[in-house]
Amino acid sequence: MNAAAPILALRKATKKYSGVPAIEDVDFELLPGEVHAIVGENGAGKSTLTKVMAGVVNLTSGEMLVEGRVVSAETPTAARELGIAMVFQETSLVPTMTVAQNLYLGQERFFNRLRGIYIAAQQFMQSLQFDVDPTAVVSRLGAAQKQMVEIARAVLHKAKVIIFDEPTASLTPEEKKYFFDLIANLKQRGVSVIFISHALEEALQVSDRITILRDGKHVVTDETRRFDRARVVQAMVGRDLSQTLYGQRKTKVRPQGRRVLSVQNLRMAAMVKNNSLSVFAGQITGVFGLVGSGRTETFKVVAGVAKRDFMHGGEVLLNGQPVRYFVPASAVRDGIVYVTEERKLEGFFETQSIAGNIYLGLLAKLRGKRKLVSKTEAASVGEHWIKRLNIRAISKNVKAIELSGGNQQKVVIAKSLVQEPELIIFDEPTRGVDVGAISEIHQLINRLADEGKAVVVISSYLPEVMSLSDRILVQRMGKVVEEFSALDATEEKIMYAAIH
Amino acid sequence: MIEAVRQWTERVLGRGEAAISVPVLDGALKSNRLIEDADVVAELDAPEDLASDGASLFVADGTRVMRVDGVGAPAVDQTFGATVSALACLPRGGIAVALGGREVRVVGGPHDGRRFESAGGHRLHSVNALAAGGGDVLWATDGSQTNPPDRWKHDVMELGRSGRVVQLDLADGSARERAAGLAYAFGVGAVGDDAAWVCESWRHRVVQVGGAQSGQAVLDGLPGYPSRMAPAAAGGWWLTCFTLRTQLVEFVLREPAFRKRMLKEIDPRYWIAPALTSGNTYLEPMQGAHLKTMGVVKPWAPPRSYGLVIRLDERGLIRYSLHSRFDGKNHGIVAAVERDGWLYLLSKGRRRLLRVSIAAAEASLAPS
Repeated sequence: MNAAAPILALRKATKKYSGVPAIEDVDFELLPGEVHAIVGENGAGKSTLTKVMAGVVNLTSGEMLVEGRVVSAETPTAARELGIAMVFQETSLVPTMTVAQNLYLGQERFFNRLRGIYIAAQQFMQSLQFDVDPTAVVSRLGAAQKQMVEIARAVLHKAKVIIFDEPTASLTPEEKKYFFDLIANLKQRGVSVIFISHALEEALQVSDRITILRDGKHVVTDETRRFDRARVVQAMVGRDLSQTLYGQRKTKVRPQGRRVLSVQNLRMAAMVKNNSLSVFAGQITGVFGLVGSGRTETFKVVAGVAKRDFMHGGEVLLNGQPVRYFVPASAVRDGIVYVTEERKLEGFFETQSIAGNIYLGLLAKLRGKRKLVSKTEAASVGEHWIKRLNIRAISKNVKAIELSGGNQQKVVIAKSLVQEPELIIFDEPTRGVDVGAISEIHQLINRLADEGKAVVVISSYLPEVMSLSDRILVQRMGKVVEEFSALDATEEKIMYAAIH
Repeated sequence: MIEAVRQWTERVLGRGEAAISVPVLDGALKSNRLIEDADVVAELDAPEDLASDGASLFVADGTRVMRVDGVGAPAVDQTFGATVSALACLPRGGIAVALGGREVRVVGGPHDGRRFESAGGHRLHSVNALAAGGGDVLWATDGSQTNPPDRWKHDVMELGRSGRVVQLDLADGSARERAAGLAYAFGVGAVGDDAAWVCESWRHRVVQVGGAQSGQAVLDGLPGYPSRMAPAAAGGWWLTCFTLRTQLVEFVLREPAFRKRMLKEIDPRYWIAPALTSGNTYLEPMQGAHLKTMGVVKPWAPPRSYGLVIRLDERGLIRYSLHSRFDGKNHGIVAAVERDGWLYLLSKGRRRLLRVSIAAAEASLAPS
């Protein structure tokens, strides 16, 4: 394999934003039919590197070669014509169109038969073993299903190189298995795959070679068999985090405080069915379940982001008092915050600065008590939280969109914590976040529980649920079906409860 | 008028009072089999209450008070002319008993022979729990002014709100009412010199009477009906819940026409109401449920009775709990008392005195 000429290569690739290098003098080679994992902390330059290949951004200096020829992929269309497709971390689907329409977007004929498109899409999705209704409108799909459509679209375009940016972040274990089978399938067909993932086990499991970036620079590229988890982490962060991340099993759990939240017989359409659970102060309550188990929806109802059934929707009690929120602001004022899993869509305003975003969180809490918006206060609040959460940015005035995933997540968290909540719901808090930031976010979550806050962590990643939670609730088909103390929970037990 | 519209709206939309939702047994209330697996100390005829002076255990059984010394069998200690509906050991010696719910009498000790038949200008009607307070104070819960202790089921189905707490002074024989209008006062524990925690069963809560926090709920939204409580040796309390709330009973409680007709026409044994024991006859009402096994939904009917004891800390926070689940028999736990590292429990439903090793229970609930 190593003897083959690279299908795609970058030489001395440098990309600078406002003079600040995101990647610098990076050399990279992708061989035909190989699965190549790129790993690194958030801000290491992985996304920039792959965006250069996909024509989303252009190099400041250096060159790109496809099959030995120097090329210039200045637009995604140009890259696609060169056979390079990218499946983005955040979906680029048109939310108001159906799955089938999204799949065939750009390939329309003069006369289009919708039924024909649906049938073709159905057959294609089935061939990939993706259980997604082609007639469903994309905005109604869950994150995992959107991801599946993204992947399917790239495969459909018969790309020679497919770049996956965090493809498995929102997939269930079963869906991940299908996805890995799909990668194996692509590999057999001679397609080269670039795979960015923060789940190191996945990178170690599916890739042939691994490239590690740190601070925009190339650290090492080697065959996967020469790596183990510790070496990867060491190379990524320059320090050994393997024991602090998911390595250690809990030996002690926090005692249960007073009951802050009681959900009783909650119903929400077909997603939440007669769900009952409690959340206690001074504890981290982990919520695990497969995609579609109604975890997010349950807590969105609690936080006023979604509404329960109009009739016989059950009860939500905050500190023993029944509550029903029609907008999140009311929940925020009562001390409930929801840190969304869709940070780019729901978490922050892309074009606002870090300080501006955080200040907006404060204003939501104080609405009605403030007559004027103070830029000075915004700056000082921003500065305080940038320091407290160690948000890495050139300045507090940097736009949120320009930050790395981990730092964006910290902004979303800061925006919630500035509201001084009593109950904090984290939905996939480390999705698309690098290991360094994961460790910091975990420390923050633990600190909140130690301070006596009621903390809920919804996560699809079992090691995360097990390493963070004091008690673990497992949801299946719209309701909690099992509860474990973190001391007697095992991955097998949790997964069994989630599936059976 | 506005209240009537609100109630009608809630009934139509299934919200508020009409939500018919029941708190879940989770967290420290997660179920186990500790009560079901408890040692059986004695089978009794009509057990009602437990008390301990540290050395001996006293059991109210019908008209008798039985004494259990060490690990021996119960022996008759006292016999009365009426059913003993509550029992307490006094710090300066002797015991206090409630007879038929209408009289509190002291037997033995410096106040031997002291009797109380009324408090606050009303006759005692349904005394169901006694607890010694500081000095010569004795706290008592008078469950209902309309129903005697053995008609508690009538009280819950009539939505009784006539319970009260009385404070009896053993030294001078005075009695005063400390709280009234309670939704069945059942269980009391003295906290400090002039305050007590009182269980308000039909409101599923424990409230404080007296002191700075008087009238405030210590523990609210319980999934069961709280009953008697007793101090724990390591601090805090043992709180019994004689059965769990169910959606079926909660539904019937919100249906006045159905309820009134049921009370009028049906034998109380077959009411849709909380029960201390169930599953004894096919005539009993059932609550529909189902299990999904191997992909097949199988209907079944969970019983209406349950066994539950809750360990509270000094602040009223739940630390852990002991259960006899729906598949068990040691249901209807109405009293719990700690002695020599053992927790003695009275299963009124099964008419048994049980005991559980506290150390073993705590070890089993804290896996390493």
